[in-house]
Amino acid sequence: MNVNGVSHTVNMTDENTPLLWVVRDVLDLKGTKFGCGKAACGACTLHVDGEAVRSCSYAIKFAEGKNITTIEGLGNEENPHPVQQAWIEEVVPQCGYCQPGFMMATAALLDMVPNPTDEDIDKNIINVCRCATYYRMRKAIHRAAALKSEKQPTETQSS
Amino acid sequence: MSEKKKKISRRKFLVRGGLGTVGVLAVGTYLFRSPIRTAIAGVVNTADTPYMGNTDTPVIWFEITKDNTVILHSPKVEMGQGTFTSLAQMAADELEVSMEQISVVHATSASGNMDGFATGGSTSVSALWVPIRELAATMREMLKAEAANNLGVETNGLTVADGIVSSGEKTITYAEVANGVTEWEVSDTPQLKPLEDYKFIGKPIARVDLKDKVFGAPIFGMDASMPDMFYGAVVRPSHIGAKYKGADTSKAAKMPGVVKIVEEEDFVGVVANSLIEAENAKAAIKVKWDAEKTWQTSDIKKLIEVGKGEAFVIQKEGDAKGVFEDGDTIIVSEYWSPIGAHAQLEPSGALAHVEGDKATVMISTQVVNITRDEIAKRLNFDKENVNIVPTFLGGGFGRRLHTPNGIQAALLSKAVGKPVKCFFTRKEEFQNDTFRPPTHHVLKAKLAEDGMIEAIEHNVSSGDVAFGSPMLPSIAEPILGADLGAWRGGMIQYGAIPNHSAISWRVKLPFATSWWRSLGLLANTFAIESFMDELAVKAGKNPVEFRLAQIQDDERGKRLKSVIEAAVEKAGYKDEVIDGRAMGLAASTDANTPCAHVVEVSIENKEIKVHRVTCAMDPGLAVNPDQVRAQCEGSIIMGMSAALFEKMEVQDGELTPTIYGPYQMALMKHAPKEIDVILLQGTDTPGAVGEPPMGPIGAALANAIFRLTGERLREIPLTLT
Amino acid sequence: MKAKITFILPFLFTAGIILAINIKPNPGEYQPIIYESGNSSEAKEAFDKMMDVLTHERCMNCHPNDNVPKQGEDSHPHYFDMARGENNMGFQATKCTTCHQKENNNYSGVPGAPHWSLAPAAMGWQGLSRTEIAQKLLNKETNGGKNHAELIKHMTEDELVLWAWEPGVDANGTPRELPPVSKAEFKTAVELWFENGAVIPSK
Repeated sequence: MNVNGVSHTVNMTDENTPLLWVVRDVLDLKGTKFGCGKAACGACTLHVDGEAVRSCSYAIKFAEGKNITTIEGLGNEENPHPVQQAWIEEVVPQCGYCQPGFMMATAALLDMVPNPTDEDIDKNIINVCRCATYYRMRKAIHRAAALKSEKQPTETQSS
Repeated sequence: MSEKKKKISRRKFLVRGGLGTVGVLAVGTYLFRSPIRTAIAGVVNTADTPYMGNTDTPVIWFEITKDNTVILHSPKVEMGQGTFTSLAQMAADELEVSMEQISVVHATSASGNMDGFATGGSTSVSALWVPIRELAATMREMLKAEAANNLGVETNGLTVADGIVSSGEKTITYAEVANGVTEWEVSDTPQLKPLEDYKFIGKPIARVDLKDKVFGAPIFGMDASMPDMFYGAVVRPSHIGAKYKGADTSKAAKMPGVVKIVEEEDFVGVVANSLIEAENAKAAIKVKWDAEKTWQTSDIKKLIEVGKGEAFVIQKEGDAKGVFEDGDTIIVSEYWSPIGAHAQLEPSGALAHVEGDKATVMISTQVVNITRDEIAKRLNFDKENVNIVPTFLGGGFGRRLHTPNGIQAALLSKAVGKPVKCFFTRKEEFQNDTFRPPTHHVLKAKLAEDGMIEAIEHNVSSGDVAFGSPMLPSIAEPILGADLGAWRGGMIQYGAIPNHSAISWRVKLPFATSWWRSLGLLANTFAIESFMDELAVKAGKNPVEFRLAQIQDDERGKRLKSVIEAAVEKAGYKDEVIDGRAMGLAASTDANTPCAHVVEVSIENKEIKVHRVTCAMDPGLAVNPDQVRAQCEGSIIMGMSAALFEKMEVQDGELTPTIYGPYQMALMKHAPKEIDVILLQGTDTPGAVGEPPMGPIGAALANAIFRLTGERLREIPLTLT
Repeated sequence: MKAKITFILPFLFTAGIILAINIKPNPGEYQPIIYESGNSSEAKEAFDKMMDVLTHERCMNCHPNDNVPKQGEDSHPHYFDMARGENNMGFQATKCTTCHQKENNNYSGVPGAPHWSLAPAAMGWQGLSRTEIAQKLLNKETNGGKNHAELIKHMTEDELVLWAWEPGVDANGTPRELPPVSKAEFKTAVELWFENGAVIPSK
């Protein structure tokens, strides 16, 4: 499978091992979090072929040949994803543990809905944040949508 | 209480070099006030929070690196409340470095910089306000003095900016100054700067841990790793009162990836090559549990009734009881709150490495000292040989004010001679939590002819909060009588009422209850402020004026009135339903920080919809106003979550539910789209921030709902009928 | 005499017609005729077995009468307000397949089967009687245009339908309740019922 642009081959004795643990403990990418292991909290959200997937409930055998993107691959300090940039601008995180899952879910939403309404956000962003940073998150999601559309025209011009 | 003159001890500053990339190490000692004082109840209700630091040995506070940056070793942990950032601001302002030049790490117990109290109670910034600035200022003076030697000039001719000392003609960096120096002259603690000179304190500086948290850096306890690490799992009880009586591990021992089965007198666990293999093997262990009784929610509700437990008078002004005995119309109301789970996203757990007579434990904890002491005691190691390396917490909220799971991880590691990482499953978190105790309240009042309250009495019956916690020495129980966590927020704050009292009833519950963000404040304020609203309605008074008229005229009273007035004004408070929306008001004072909320609510599709919350709070000096706002926003929504959705039940002996979803909590869709936070500054020192905004939210909602439906909801989570 | 008979017959005939026109029975008063093919009780039993399965929560939970999938033995609304969305597969970015994969997941307790989604709204059965469900089933306008052969194939071979007999475990590791009729018996019942004309039994 391809993870954040890098090809990996993993050998697992249990082909049903959740992708979450392969990403965290075999590939040592700790950004994707364990919150419940039951696909209820969304802290484990990453992208499989561009779609949001809760990796605690996704067997590694299904990842064969797929493109996986985790928070580490979404963007970094030199080249942040618009969602990450917005998250920084609005100073969203408090404890920060759930935030990667929210950012991955948001990135997936913006891919599908470039200008989400509050209702779109309510329906799609259903992860759990105990620190309850939702108020700033909502602002950051709208900001990210704006940042992303600002980026888009430039990319089209230069490509 | 008289203030001891704070002085840096004249012990020599030590310098240690050769530690990897760090060129120089500077450490400082500081004499702190007596630890005994925190056991005294009065401390909790005032802003008088002493910092209980390690006074015996030199402790590491600051390091100066070759690149001329400063690393602050924080004895307070970062769990989202923004403490690291505030401490960095305070230190940077006196040290004369920029915010880019200072970074903060968790102080390990080995660094000696250990907090004798805990990170909790909204005390970190207030407790360290003076000490950390004095430490930083003293270090600055010491660096200047050494620079003066270096440059061959007088100290008083030097200026400092961004970690560079200048004589006007020549400059030298802190790193250059400190390099190679082994003996320091300890300067007198200088006068601290006037508040208006601060560049960072009082400004909305971006969090210092922001980028790590946005880019997925492996900073949490759950992310910890060590070479050659194994994974552990411990069987934990699912039933209340279940005692471990032994286990059949024959099947588990043969499962794939298992390294060892570990049987202790009080638990059984497994060590395996991966987390999944450890969990699978754990599932195959058959444990014999012994539970005396099968509990149900109704049993607990009966236990918790006012009158059942031990009563302690926590407040008595005038003679409310005497007034009630006169037999005239007494208004009585009851309120309830349920068992609350912490439900923080990062489960409890630890990574422990025991080698010989030494242990290193990486763990999310709010009590570094207790974590260390308990592990040392169980393993029979010297405390100095147990190094606790605190990690960023994926949520604290009081959950990690006791961390016995550190002991389990250590014992598993000891059994295999390698590091072992052992965490709770989510189900285990829900069933082995140290819950917010359920409460029952009975409030009585008599109104005078003019409609004002002549006498009022608040009875709160609750499970333990502070008692039973390792933070409180057992000697404190008989001294204190009432559990100071349970009655937090339980006193009547309307000091102008001639007769007002509060009684705390202590109930011992069969499962662990302890600290949950804001402790008793959430339930107590819900009860008292709902009752105040009921009385205002009965007296035909406007709820704002009713409250203001009965607050006393001292400083504490003035500050409370100010926040009520500010919230009411900003919200445009109206005591009527307009276009299907109603407002509700409530206010409380927690640890000398008054806070008032006005909520704006409607009911749509039989659901309570919160449109807007206006919050006015006076935390004294806001070291970082943006982070104070963030704490208000989070606390408001977390309080809403408890007031509208959350409850644990007991079913056939099991605490339930055990997963998010069934344990209903506030989600994005529930969060109000508008939250206005007004910060007032009633004092020049920083006070409590993280917990006070939890207080008024429940009653504010109930008061708004009453105006919408005419129905008074007296139990949280508030449920429309 | 001959003249009388000649007159009476047309009279009677006309009278009969007039009577027939005026005492026309209501179509609803007719009872459906159950064709006695020698196996009508078997066909009814087959229908009952088939309906026992279709009305079980394993099927009914994803054939709601509203836009909300149901969960569990108590058929509570899906947590976190997951709903149909535009295409029966959830919302734009948070879809059924965000959590549900092509197989049950024993670690998380999330059920799974190929093409996991809600049944289309036209196939909403919750709250309907067995007769009504059967009518919807047979109606090409509500069953996705299927003829009998296609219906049999769907009901006995579709992997999402057959999931009902391998529903996996829930979040606590507790196996989900199976339909009251075995998969093999269900298959036989479906085939038998269609073989006998897919007759919906009267009450």
